[in-house]
Amino acid sequence: MLSVEALKIRYGEVEAVRRVDLTVDSGEIIALVGANGAGKSSTLGAVAGLVPAASGKVIFDGVDITGLAPEAIARKGVALVPEGRRIFASLTVADNLRLGGAVHQPAAEARLREEEMLELFPILRRYYRVKGGNLSGGEQQMLAIARALMGKPRMILLDEPSLGLAPQLIDTVFDLIAELRRKGLTILLVEQNVALALEIADRAVVLANGEVVLSGTAKELASSDLVRQAYLGA
Amino acid sequence: MIAQQIINAVSLGGVYALLALGLAIVFSIVGLINFAHGELMTLSGYALLASLVLGFPFPVAVLVAVSCGALAAVAMERIAFRPMRGASVTSLLLTSFAVSSLLKVVFQNGISARPQAVAMAGWMTGAFSFGDFTIGVGPSISIVVSALALIALEVFLRRSVTGTAMRAAAEDFDVVRLMGIPASRIIATAFLLSGLLAGLAAMLWVAQRASVDPLMGFTPVLKAFIAAVVGGLGSLPGAVAGGFLLGIIEVLLQATLPGAIAPYRDAIVLSGVIAVLLVRPQGLIPAVRAQRS
Repeated sequence: MLSVEALKIRYGEVEAVRRVDLTVDSGEIIALVGANGAGKSSTLGAVAGLVPAASGKVIFDGVDITGLAPEAIARKGVALVPEGRRIFASLTVADNLRLGGAVHQPAAEARLREEEMLELFPILRRYYRVKGGNLSGGEQQMLAIARALMGKPRMILLDEPSLGLAPQLIDTVFDLIAELRRKGLTILLVEQNVALALEIADRAVVLANGEVVLSGTAKELASSDLVRQAYLGA
Repeated sequence: MIAQQIINAVSLGGVYALLALGLAIVFSIVGLINFAHGELMTLSGYALLASLVLGFPFPVAVLVAVSCGALAAVAMERIAFRPMRGASVTSLLLTSFAVSSLLKVVFQNGISARPQAVAMAGWMTGAFSFGDFTIGVGPSISIVVSALALIALEVFLRRSVTGTAMRAAAEDFDVVRLMGIPASRIIATAFLLSGLLAGLAAMLWVAQRASVDPLMGFTPVLKAFIAAVVGGLGSLPGAVAGGFLLGIIEVLLQATLPGAIAPYRDAIVLSGVIAVLLVRPQGLIPAVRAQRS
């Protein structure tokens, strides 16, 4: 469904991503793991169109989307839930959701979709008229995911969904991710918590210094010495 | 006398508020302080003059003039600012100065450097009388129009998808684009609204002065810029508050300062602005921005 080929990203003189190749098949969860600064978020940014690729290609559903504007990529059915959630703090939960589904469907369908989201995230119904900035971190993460789902994406890119959340909330978020996959969504997950990511993913790609150092099924990686030593602390 | 001064103060404040809002809307979304905003106002003034000379009925002429302001703002973005998208704040600022100077020269050489009289309907310079009170028709219309424009803008920003997207874009533009909402639609709407507000402000300004000149927009927009900064640059409620505050203080000083000190009115107002910014550097009602690491 998605393939990233020989992606290279530069910020001025700094090469954030030297070479990343990866593929995500329909219905899979792929985890992109690695230390801080390994190039995970930049890779997601390039897929979503927020970060320009210095070279290489991003192909979605057989179409080259490299260099397209973020709004064009979003309309093709790829939704990014950015690092740090970035919900609209001064807008109500209702308005955050509304913007998420504004351009992908007629208004009547968007309302139905919103109802589905409120079923999936009852907490958002409770805080429907509350400003996003007044929600807790976990609630904001729910809102960010619901907002992305409002546009009925076929693929969702999750950037560090566990960051800054209390342990029980992390479980809730990961249960949710598993449920989304059961519903047929394709997921590319960036996560610093490698153990957690390998638990939920089908396959994983390990990045270090902007390059893929290892990839394989989540099971293989969880038992690989390199991963155990470097990321799982075993 | 006091009632008359209050009306004048609110009326002037309303015009400043409309102009400051136009500056703030564009700034909140593109980070550009559009110094050519005054020229949008001037252009609307000339459009009104031309429509009246062509014999359009007054309401039609006003409609044409305000539309000209709005369309000119959109054209300005397309021609001058869109190619500069992503450029530094300084480059944007210089571009807006260039557009402003260019338009001023076009007005001076293409029309005339001298003020042109605009034939306003006689009733607009009239006044109501209630017992001892006399209230000018012009300032009253100005207050009503400003109030309606502010309400309409508020409804647009709260209710419509594009308006909501604009409030969101002021906070985090990239994420709005991630929702699939085109950046160019948001930016074009911001300029359209700012042009519309400049056009309306021009009508109110011309209505009370009955003339247009190439530098017409300079002073009010300078004041509006001060109002926007005092209110909190990029904050829409701040722009409105700053506009009214400035208008009220100006009229108040005008009415109460003894003759010998009157020429220092602007100096006193600007000292007040400095004092406000010393206490509240972010302005009266600071703009909301996403906190990003």
